[in-house]
Amino acid sequence: MNLHEEQERTLSAPGIHGERVPMRDLSREEVDFCIVGAGAGGGVVGAKLAEAGFSVVILDAGPHWSPVKDFVSDETASRKLYWTDERITGGRDPVELGSNNSGRGVGGSTVHYSMVKMRAHADDFRRRTLEGEIAGAELCDWPITFEDLEPYYEEVEEALQIAGPTYYPWGKHRRRFPQREHELNASANMLVRGCTKLGIPVAPCPVSTLSAPHEDRPPCVYRGFCNYGCTTNAKSSILVTYIPRAIRAEAEVRPNSMAAQIEHDERGRVKGVLHFQKGSRELFRQRARNVVVAGYAIETPRLLLNSASALFPDGLANSSGMVGHCFMVHSGHQVFARFPDRINQYKAPPGLALTEHFNRTMPDADFICGYTIEGVGPHPVDFAARIATARGLWGAKLRRAMLDYNYYSGVGIVGEILPQQNNVVKLHETERDQYGLPVPHVIFGYHDNDQRIIGHAIARMREILEAAGGEDTWSADRTAHLLGTCRMGNDPRDSVVNADCRAHDVPNLFICDGSVFPTSTAVNPSLTIEAIAARAASRIGANGRSRVNPS
Amino acid sequence: MKGQEFHTRYPGYNVLDKWSTPDWDDQTRRAVRRRLEEIPPIRFFNEHEARTLAAVAERIIPQPDRSGSEKVPIAPWIDEKLYEDERDGYRYEELPPQPRAWRLGLRGIDEAARALFGDKTFVELDPLSQDVVLSHIERGDAPGATWKQLPPARFFKSVLSLTIVKIYYAHPLVWNEIGYGGPSSPRGHVRKREGSVDPWEAQEGKAG
Repeated sequence: MNLHEEQERTLSAPGIHGERVPMRDLSREEVDFCIVGAGAGGGVVGAKLAEAGFSVVILDAGPHWSPVKDFVSDETASRKLYWTDERITGGRDPVELGSNNSGRGVGGSTVHYSMVKMRAHADDFRRRTLEGEIAGAELCDWPITFEDLEPYYEEVEEALQIAGPTYYPWGKHRRRFPQREHELNASANMLVRGCTKLGIPVAPCPVSTLSAPHEDRPPCVYRGFCNYGCTTNAKSSILVTYIPRAIRAEAEVRPNSMAAQIEHDERGRVKGVLHFQKGSRELFRQRARNVVVAGYAIETPRLLLNSASALFPDGLANSSGMVGHCFMVHSGHQVFARFPDRINQYKAPPGLALTEHFNRTMPDADFICGYTIEGVGPHPVDFAARIATARGLWGAKLRRAMLDYNYYSGVGIVGEILPQQNNVVKLHETERDQYGLPVPHVIFGYHDNDQRIIGHAIARMREILEAAGGEDTWSADRTAHLLGTCRMGNDPRDSVVNADCRAHDVPNLFICDGSVFPTSTAVNPSLTIEAIAARAASRIGANGRSRVNPS
Repeated sequence: MKGQEFHTRYPGYNVLDKWSTPDWDDQTRRAVRRRLEEIPPIRFFNEHEARTLAAVAERIIPQPDRSGSEKVPIAPWIDEKLYEDERDGYRYEELPPQPRAWRLGLRGIDEAARALFGDKTFVELDPLSQDVVLSHIERGDAPGATWKQLPPARFFKSVLSLTIVKIYYAHPLVWNEIGYGGPSSPRGHVRKREGSVDPWEAQEGKAG
């Protein structure tokens, strides 16, 4: 063998302040873990495994962003943060994809998320026990409890330095948030005023943007472009928190690498990931003793299905037939109103106040589960698209309505969606992407219960806005987040991974992202994804190198 | 008077006045400069399609208050999106791929115009008649064989008007009209409560 080939290349990655940081090249090694996706799940599990001493490569289909150089104070120029490859969307209620619910690049969608960091509640982990069987829904308990996850919620909240109120009114009694709450902006004040008038408890939102300096990052300056990438590093995305940790712990973060297939040996154990690198249609192989898939609830099942083989004819880890099924979103419906005072909804993080008052099964309601109401703050392109679509406005009417942009304020929900067998992510029969891979075909329709939640929520949001002094209210249909499709469970017959995120069928394959959610909960999912990933990493580490390195 | 109905609350506000202030960083200046100065040539559509699209854009977002060269350009950016094959990340299963959807859509607009207004193409119609054509597409009852291949209401709502609206409201001239603060990196904002405005935000009723 040629000596030159054995030498490692000297790699570097963008640091968070515009500098370059040295990084190991593991492309020729058989690593302990190859992780597909550098977002909320992959970033956390990758950093923790690297810190535990494992050799780790994290692949991401998109670029490795430099926050201070690449992120732009502009909605349109920030479309590069989204996953815009072709996906076909259908069903009774087709889901709009490619923007808020997608991410491409290191950090995943956490680089543009709204930073709302909520815990799920004890009831969320045992919906089947609490609600019984619901016709048309695949309601089930999680194989873990709130108590199993609680230490990991604390761990992640500490790592991301969540800023929140001294007293948080909902859920199990909790310790203080690591950082103090943020001053409320006009939209949050409006939500507080409306709720207070109606006797609805309301609180400042726990958010992952710094309210005080932390390590090498400054506090938030309230520029309000949180949904388009934070240029000042106040926002605790995975890109500026766990990814630098992973690189310091000698992981390689490999951008512009689109996973095509997970390879396995004759015994059915995975042994590496074939991936395309930018500008090339040639496949590269990363050998690995274990693989973690963390591509979110469309790309994760897509990769497993695209990895079908003679041994796994229905797709990898799919003996249950559940890969791709029980796809869920959150209803993200929003209501806006015009106010007498100037709001300037573009300033500061969009969701700085919330109420979880309706996040529970209410005794007098004709539905189970519920929703959270949060502040929102769309910039003009997003707002114009919403008002045009929601009110059917175009022409002079639209231009006139938009003249009042600064006087509008709105709220939105994270509404629970029940899992349904026929809401599914599958491979499209004929369409292929730029790599020649079958594109995802996403089928979604609301359950009756989902529709009732939405109806209830829109009525409550209108009341809140009107109580706060708003006029001329209108509502916009919207969804947020992608969940399900590789649910966790104890029974290999009806779930894909176990409580530790390990595939039932393949002992050295793990899934660590929103795909593993058995039910959707009615809170923003990023903290729960991160906590699940943190727990999985701890469980894998505790099992020791011998157990995870079966070869 | 032409355009008076779009009376701004913020006369004299020009977001570009902040170009060299701590509200605009280099990467944002680069992105917005391109939007202002580097209008792409028409490469995807043929001449008639491009003229039809420009006429449609003028009805979805009328700009009677601006003369030709002052109008916010719409069609060139749609043309570039299709020429570069920039996708949106999703496609409704009843719609063909984006380039085909746009070509069919523009053909269908002419078909509907001819069927409704005595064999005139869309660009030959007066604005009110053009609005009638677009309303039929919006409602889903546009005449013409093309609309059997392309669901008109879905195309109107999810492709045609949405794309035009997003391009228009991305332009600094329009940010002035609605008083949007625009880029704010690294300075950010200090005054966040209702009715409170930073000195570097749009002020109301102050003639420039």
